[in-house]
Amino acid sequence: MRNSLAFLTGLLLLFPVSSQEFRLALPGYHYEFPRDHFSHPDFQTEWWYYTGNVRAAGGHRFGFELTFFRQALDRNPSKTSVWDVRDLYLAHLALSDLDARGFYYAERLNRSGPGIAGVRQNDGRIWNGNWRIDWKGNEQTLQAIDNRFTIELDLRAEKPPIIHGENGVSQKADGPGRASHYISLTRLAAKGQITLGGKPFEVSGLAWMDHEFFTHQLDADQAGWDWLSVQLEDDTELMLFRIRRKDGSIDPYSSGTFIDAQGRSMHLRDSDFVLRPLNDRWKSKATNADYPIHWRITIPKLRMDFEIQTSLPSQELTGGSRLAPNYWEGSVQINGRKGEAPLAGVGYLEMTGYDRPVEMGR
Amino acid sequence: MPRFSLFYRLICRPLWAEPARTALAALAIALGVAVVLAIDLAGNAATGSFHSSLETLAGDNDLEIVATGGVPERVVGALAAMPYALRISPRIDGYAVLTDTRQSVPLIGLDLVANVSELSTRPSGVDIANLQDSLKYLSDYDTVWLGESFKRGIGDRVPLLINDHLAEYTVRGVFPDSNGSAAAIVMDIATAQRALGRLGTIDRVLVKIPQEMTLDTWQQRLSAILPAGTEVRLAGTSTAENRKMLAAFRWNLRLLSYIALVVGAFLIYNTISVSVVRRRADIGIVRALGASRAAVLIAFLGEAFCFGLLGTVLGLPVGRLMASVAIKLMSATVESLYVSSRPGPLDLDAGAVILAFIIGIGVSVASAYSPAREASLVAPVEAMARGRREYLAAVHKLRDLLWAFALGFAALAASRAPAVGGKPLLGYLATLLLILASALAIPAFVAGAMHLAGRSLGKLFGVEALLASRSLSASLRRTSVLVGALSTAIAMMTAVGIMVGSFRQTVLLWMEDQLPADLYMRPAGNVGPDRHPTISTDLVETIAHLPAVAAIDRLREYEISYDGMPAGLASIELNVLRSYHNVDFLSGRSTNAVLADLRGQNAVIVSEPFANKHQVRAGHSITLSMGETRSGFRIADIYYDYSSERGTILIDRETLLRYLPDPAPSNLAIYVAPGTSIADARATIEHAAAGRRVLLFTNRDLRGEALRIFDRTFAITYALEAVAVIIAVMGVAGSLLALVIDRRRELALLRFLGAASAQIRKLIVAEAALLGMLATAAGVALGFTLSLILVFVINKQSFGWTIRFHWPVAVLVGALSVVYLATVLAGLYPANVAVRLRPIEVVHEE
Repeated sequence: MRNSLAFLTGLLLLFPVSSQEFRLALPGYHYEFPRDHFSHPDFQTEWWYYTGNVRAAGGHRFGFELTFFRQALDRNPSKTSVWDVRDLYLAHLALSDLDARGFYYAERLNRSGPGIAGVRQNDGRIWNGNWRIDWKGNEQTLQAIDNRFTIELDLRAEKPPIIHGENGVSQKADGPGRASHYISLTRLAAKGQITLGGKPFEVSGLAWMDHEFFTHQLDADQAGWDWLSVQLEDDTELMLFRIRRKDGSIDPYSSGTFIDAQGRSMHLRDSDFVLRPLNDRWKSKATNADYPIHWRITIPKLRMDFEIQTSLPSQELTGGSRLAPNYWEGSVQINGRKGEAPLAGVGYLEMTGYDRPVEMGR
Repeated sequence: MPRFSLFYRLICRPLWAEPARTALAALAIALGVAVVLAIDLAGNAATGSFHSSLETLAGDNDLEIVATGGVPERVVGALAAMPYALRISPRIDGYAVLTDTRQSVPLIGLDLVANVSELSTRPSGVDIANLQDSLKYLSDYDTVWLGESFKRGIGDRVPLLINDHLAEYTVRGVFPDSNGSAAAIVMDIATAQRALGRLGTIDRVLVKIPQEMTLDTWQQRLSAILPAGTEVRLAGTSTAENRKMLAAFRWNLRLLSYIALVVGAFLIYNTISVSVVRRRADIGIVRALGASRAAVLIAFLGEAFCFGLLGTVLGLPVGRLMASVAIKLMSATVESLYVSSRPGPLDLDAGAVILAFIIGIGVSVASAYSPAREASLVAPVEAMARGRREYLAAVHKLRDLLWAFALGFAALAASRAPAVGGKPLLGYLATLLLILASALAIPAFVAGAMHLAGRSLGKLFGVEALLASRSLSASLRRTSVLVGALSTAIAMMTAVGIMVGSFRQTVLLWMEDQLPADLYMRPAGNVGPDRHPTISTDLVETIAHLPAVAAIDRLREYEISYDGMPAGLASIELNVLRSYHNVDFLSGRSTNAVLADLRGQNAVIVSEPFANKHQVRAGHSITLSMGETRSGFRIADIYYDYSSERGTILIDRETLLRYLPDPAPSNLAIYVAPGTSIADARATIEHAAAGRRVLLFTNRDLRGEALRIFDRTFAITYALEAVAVIIAVMGVAGSLLALVIDRRRELALLRFLGAASAQIRKLIVAEAALLGMLATAAGVALGFTLSLILVFVINKQSFGWTIRFHWPVAVLVGALSVVYLATVLAGLYPANVAVRLRPIEVVHEE
């Protein structure tokens, strides 16, 4: 449940596609790696999502986000030319300079064309121009070039892939197929270089990868969502999302996952946790959206109680195109306790639908 | 204000007193200025503001990547993956004809998907905010976006002719195109590639580079990952190259336009000289009354200034009007000989107006300087006596003749010098020197001719003709100037007539040899010197196998850039050529011998303009980029070619296909099987081509078409000559009028002595006829000499064509007769004035 949904809805408005010819995310899907790290063209929508918090040797902190998104457009078998648009590849890149309070982002849309963008298991590559992930065995390298900054990181998975939800599907709404296949690498050791304004920083830290594929999982009554990933200092992780409905209620299909230090996952239902905004808000001058930037999580059955805050309130992405709604996605810090013991961590928070309801498909 | 009143009395009053003559002088300047202005304005619009259609919607890019036959499309992926913040915009460049309005329009294929996410940077220059909604039709193959100036609505169907294929497309959006200057049809790159039949390649990749580091560095970096045959060059290079190519064309036209001005200058000189001569007595009086030499000089220069001012004011609107005609002729020429382009708007800006005033007034004052100075040198006493003036002219004519010879030799030397920076500067100098030499030789010529012919003229045409010849040689100076002006105009007309005629004849003979096939076929739309649409290969195969067809020659042409200049690269079929065709080579070798050199070899033959432009000879090696490779090719020989000024490289079809494997030809030459009539063969072929948009020409049609283009190309040249002649004839009329008024006393006395009014008329018309005859004789002689320079020096150096000399007798005789008749007719009005003079009044004036 990531902001890419927003791109999807934007794209659907521009490029209406019948979803009937595509496969639905149904329970019982047999996962197999590395195959399932790559493309699933039978499904209409797919994304790969990298976020992370890293720190330079001198202590300078950065957050980053790089997302690759595939939306199937046309499966007409007669369209065989290289430039024919079978899939659209969208990508978002953002760098949060947490200490100097700078936020930089860029958007990219391409067709696969002659190698411009795509996903290729043979080469272990997921790319959109010179924003790319290269898999080598279990390790990945991430490279993203922008005219203001570059990010080059080696990512090493410290835990096996997590499959969210129940029975291989993460349900988002009522009905069969209103769900996604949702895979995460929740603890990636990140090490590499960030250059900003011509200045290089040797950085290291933690990254998170989400990979989701599905066909038409949305519900028209849903107005927006809040999504959170948390990497705690005790080697455990949390993923939580809540879906807000247009009537102001919280959708019962909100859910989450807890991953223990050994890499075992536990599904969290809507009733298992509370993800609640507190009073601190940041109002965007660009969009007038009023984002809650201070949150509280309570998960009674894990005896967890955390507060979530950010050191950079202005991490809003306002796309130049109408493909994506405006949204907030940024690096956050987590502080609180598990049982009696204090526990802290880092994470990424995403909030959509605060300027106007996100159009949830049709 | 004594000085002003002097100016008024000495200059203005006489001018007002003879409005017709004043008007003629001003008109001469007006026409001269108008022609120069018109050519300048039209030249600016047709070639100076030339913007290659390739620049339409090209955006703010720094570099472009091109390759002959197209850039392999995988290059785009490789560039996109480079670890630099580059903006990569692949692009297809083609043409389509909107068949309902017959407009030929650039067809541009852009990656519209990539544009959507880069709205803020607008890589293509298309404001696609309003394209966005229509992107939902992206994957329909009939989707197009049109410039606003086509005035089509969203949802309209438009018929587009692309190559030999006509199809309907649906307008899914319109974009602003700055009133048509960026008018284009935009397609998504996938649709454009398919519509133009260019799967696998794209025409260009535009690249925007980051600020840091130099263009050179980026050029090297990009070249390093590209195939050898691709070229990384500055964006907009094609515009610069085409401008360079058009420069010579424009230069020649501009210089031609100055001829009208030179003729105008002659007439101003003449008018002021006449003023001075006629007012010698007046000048003597004002000098005697205390006017200084400077005052007299300024007064006469002031007169010239007035002519210049008046002429320019009249010339500006006339020039603007002429420009609107000239631009049509010029852009047609540019379009058929050089490059696809749209003329820009005619822009009569402050600069052009100021330039016109400087030229108009400058030429008037400069040409008046010598007579004005003479006026200032008139001694008060001397002015009262007559005769000395003519004596001076008579004495000078020998000295002038010597000067004329000196200048003639200088001209000869200049004509043998090579081009300077690709421009025949010394050739032009030679023509200028020759014109000067001729002007200096004319007094001697007139005197000699009159001396020899006077008596026989009297015997042949009566006493009037004798009197006329005497009168002309008596006022030798004035006669010389008139003959000079008229003969210069006639000479230029003759010279250009001979050059164009020779050229035309050469082309005719060449076509005899070079168009041996019975039928020729090309796609219906968008053919131009830089546009080579293709014929579908299935149709070609069908035709090749028709029993009525003995053989076909598949000619394929590509537009290339060689050494910074546009050129054509074309392939021919050797086996067909060998059995059907004779090519004329500079070396004089036989066709078979040369073609044997080409077979299977990396060898080419190049056209004569190409060889001249790039200074290459047989045996030299040139490097050609084709597809992904760069290879050296030996020049086997140079062939005569008059079909294109751009220069062409010919290569064996088999060889070209090895590098560029696209088999679709741009043209077909079809040889009809023996025993089949051409009409029958044509009918069969047309039947086979039903549904395809191709044009089939018989050999005769094609030649007619070629000559039509040829004649259209030179129409503007003729127009310029005509204006020069009109100015000269006007000058004759004006001067004869002055002559009549001057000789009132003499004419009145003739009447008293019993001359009938018909005789007076005959006398004046005879003078006009004699002037015309002298001018024609001198003009044709000068014109012949000038034509040699035009044909063998200027043409050769600016265009590189070998032209065989040819007298276009019919054209010349026709044109000269018209000019001669016009000169004689120009004598009619002064003759009538002379007849209306009342002898009694005139004698009473004394």
